[in-house]
Amino acid sequence: MRERSRRAPAEVVADGYPRRRPRWIEIATSADHKDVGRVLVTAALGFLFIALVELLLMRLQLAVPENSLLTPVAFNRMLSLYGATAIFFFAIPLALGLFYYVAPLQIGARGTALPRVGQLGLWLYLAGALVLYSGFFFTPSEAGVNPLAPLSELAFLPNNGVDAWAASTGLATLGFVLVAIDLVATLRRLRAPGMAWRRVPVFSWAAAICSWLLLAIGPVMLAAITMLLIDRNFDGIFFADGSGGAPLLWSHMSWIFFTGAYMLILIAALAAIAEIVPVFARRPLAGRGTVIGSLGAIAVIGTLSWMQNMLTAPIGIGWMYFAMIMSLALVVPFGLVIFNLISTMAGGELRMRAPLLFAAGAISLISIGLAAELEQSMVAVAWRLHNTVDATAATHFALVGGGVFGGFAALYYWYPKLTGRTMGETLARFSFWTMFAGAFLAFVPLFLAGDDHGQVVDAYKFFSGTGVSAENLIATIGTFVLAIGILLTLANAIASRTGGARAGHDQWGGDSLEWFTLSPPEPHNFDVLPDVRSERPMRDIREAIAHATARSEAAPRETQPVA
Amino acid sequence: MAPHSPGTDQIDTLLWIGFVAAAILVVAINGALIYALRGRRGRRGPEPREASGSGRRTQLRVGGLLAGFAFVVFVLSVIYTDKAREVPGTGPAGLAAAHSKPLQIKATGQQWLWRYDYPNQAFSYYKLVVPVDTTVELELVSTDVIHTWDVPQLAGKRDAVPGKVNHVVFRADEQGVYRGQSATFSGQAYAPMRVEVDVVSPRAYKAFIEKQKTEIQEAQDRVVGLIEEGKVP
Repeated sequence: MRERSRRAPAEVVADGYPRRRPRWIEIATSADHKDVGRVLVTAALGFLFIALVELLLMRLQLAVPENSLLTPVAFNRMLSLYGATAIFFFAIPLALGLFYYVAPLQIGARGTALPRVGQLGLWLYLAGALVLYSGFFFTPSEAGVNPLAPLSELAFLPNNGVDAWAASTGLATLGFVLVAIDLVATLRRLRAPGMAWRRVPVFSWAAAICSWLLLAIGPVMLAAITMLLIDRNFDGIFFADGSGGAPLLWSHMSWIFFTGAYMLILIAALAAIAEIVPVFARRPLAGRGTVIGSLGAIAVIGTLSWMQNMLTAPIGIGWMYFAMIMSLALVVPFGLVIFNLISTMAGGELRMRAPLLFAAGAISLISIGLAAELEQSMVAVAWRLHNTVDATAATHFALVGGGVFGGFAALYYWYPKLTGRTMGETLARFSFWTMFAGAFLAFVPLFLAGDDHGQVVDAYKFFSGTGVSAENLIATIGTFVLAIGILLTLANAIASRTGGARAGHDQWGGDSLEWFTLSPPEPHNFDVLPDVRSERPMRDIREAIAHATARSEAAPRETQPVA
Repeated sequence: MAPHSPGTDQIDTLLWIGFVAAAILVVAINGALIYALRGRRGRRGPEPREASGSGRRTQLRVGGLLAGFAFVVFVLSVIYTDKAREVPGTGPAGLAAAHSKPLQIKATGQQWLWRYDYPNQAFSYYKLVVPVDTTVELELVSTDVIHTWDVPQLAGKRDAVPGKVNHVVFRADEQGVYRGQSATFSGQAYAPMRVEVDVVSPRAYKAFIEKQKTEIQEAQDRVVGLIEEGKVP
């Protein structure tokens, strides 16, 4: 600024663009889907780190029986913060951030349809995070991962912790809904010429599916949160027993959201894997239509299975069987997606690079988690295993498999597009095997402790003589190993931001249009909008270029032979 | 943990069925995954052919196989769940008075203790005493937040929700002490909120009820006395 004022005012401005504002202001005020998506992904990875710290503190407390490292209140606060951070501030925004960054590029759009709406979504999400962690310095919520009414009512938790939880998750959920609205509009209106729905890549299909899912479940959660806030602050009775309220209402509404979010995280992960596998096996995805249809079915059927979480509640056996039918029906779409992913790998020419490695790990962990969830959904089995650490293990296998392994697969795959650099391959391998071993060490003992000894979830301590001491110690060690592995990838991402090898526009030889743009893309994404003629437009472009190059190289040889 | 009530047998069996079903899925998927990853590596040449499994018929076959699998699991689940829900009759060694219908006891969950109200105005805290070989029906209610009553050896777990009544039925086949733990997060002292069931002979049960009644009566009399003497405001 000072430099400019010293100079005489220029009469003709002809030397390029006007000076840009400082970078952080550009990013903070940008409504470009790439900037918004990058901030979402970066913030989500930051919250992954914070969630890990909270998880490790809880695991330290549970390393030995009757430990007194954390007081009951401190443990319950960590538990509540961990749940909110992992779900609302890591897993969902990571999926949404990648959708928001990649999907417009994949469909050949020059931006999103409602950029300011998406930008507002990001800001609301960040505001939610600010509320949650400014609450951290006063009195965080002590109501658990899902603050079941009436424990979350004013009568039982009179400090402002639950209000902070409700406000923060409410802001974040509203933000997700806004981003989803922008994605739905973009995918509907801004596809490139020729990009019919039958040619839209799987990941962009998943973006549409997950956005519609969020439009369905987000408002349910927002309504529940609003009702909770009314109950707590304006003498409401929505979830209070007697005088017209019903505690189970909160259970229904919140589980609809959490079950839908669970499905969203898995759909995003499987869709990212469905982009990665064909590229690294050098063959088109098997059963593309089936995969897309199955992802849609998972969103619908999976969300309808919400009462799987309420099989011990007084809801009537018919509803229990309904929940079980929905959960068991999920075997078909999940099985078909995984079948097609694996049959694409088998017989392909595999390049075992980091994205494929993490994708394979994700499939493995997700399969274990979902198989255990299947067992949990069998009604009489739930009467035994509900709310034991067996359920914790099942959920964590599926969500760490989907959110962390699947998320990291997507991160390694699209990092060159996001930053223009590639992440270190050696560090990626170390990270993967540490994480993979850590996940099994951390969660398999919980299967045993929950199944054989009925250790309950969410408890701040367990007792010696209940036969679960060894399991919990191993689980704590495993969680540390898992955390080290995760930190290696986070460190890799930070270091590669400036130190990674420069990436070309088409780092992996992908078939979808995001690889047609520069890495990172220009603000307008595409100089020329390609005319899409098939499901694999980038491959068509590569072949056309190769054809043209071959012709232009062949032509001079005819007239001027090389000696 | 060996089952000690008819319903828990069925739960145990279904648990094994579920484990086998889950194991089949895990082994099949991970086996196929490992097989697929051992395939050809990074040779550059013409693009490999499209996967043979991409045809519509294969998709239908695989989908049908999965649906069949889910259906078998569903049928088995319903069979064993219904069996687990059957109310067993009181056996010969049980409480004579309870032959016609189950012995009804009200279990009230409260932060962070269970209260049991027996027939005949007797009540106890923390420990539930029931006669052996007798069908017992617990009416689960809560006065504050949601709790879950769970003694794995005797019955499946059930939630006590404020404003609702839930039921647990069991028939303990052997005398002894059975332990469990409340299984829904209920606040600060959730971890030590345990459940203990003392299964005794019908005679000992009757004696326990009488003892509780007299002790409760004595305590009430004492309080009334203190109030009358003016020692308590």
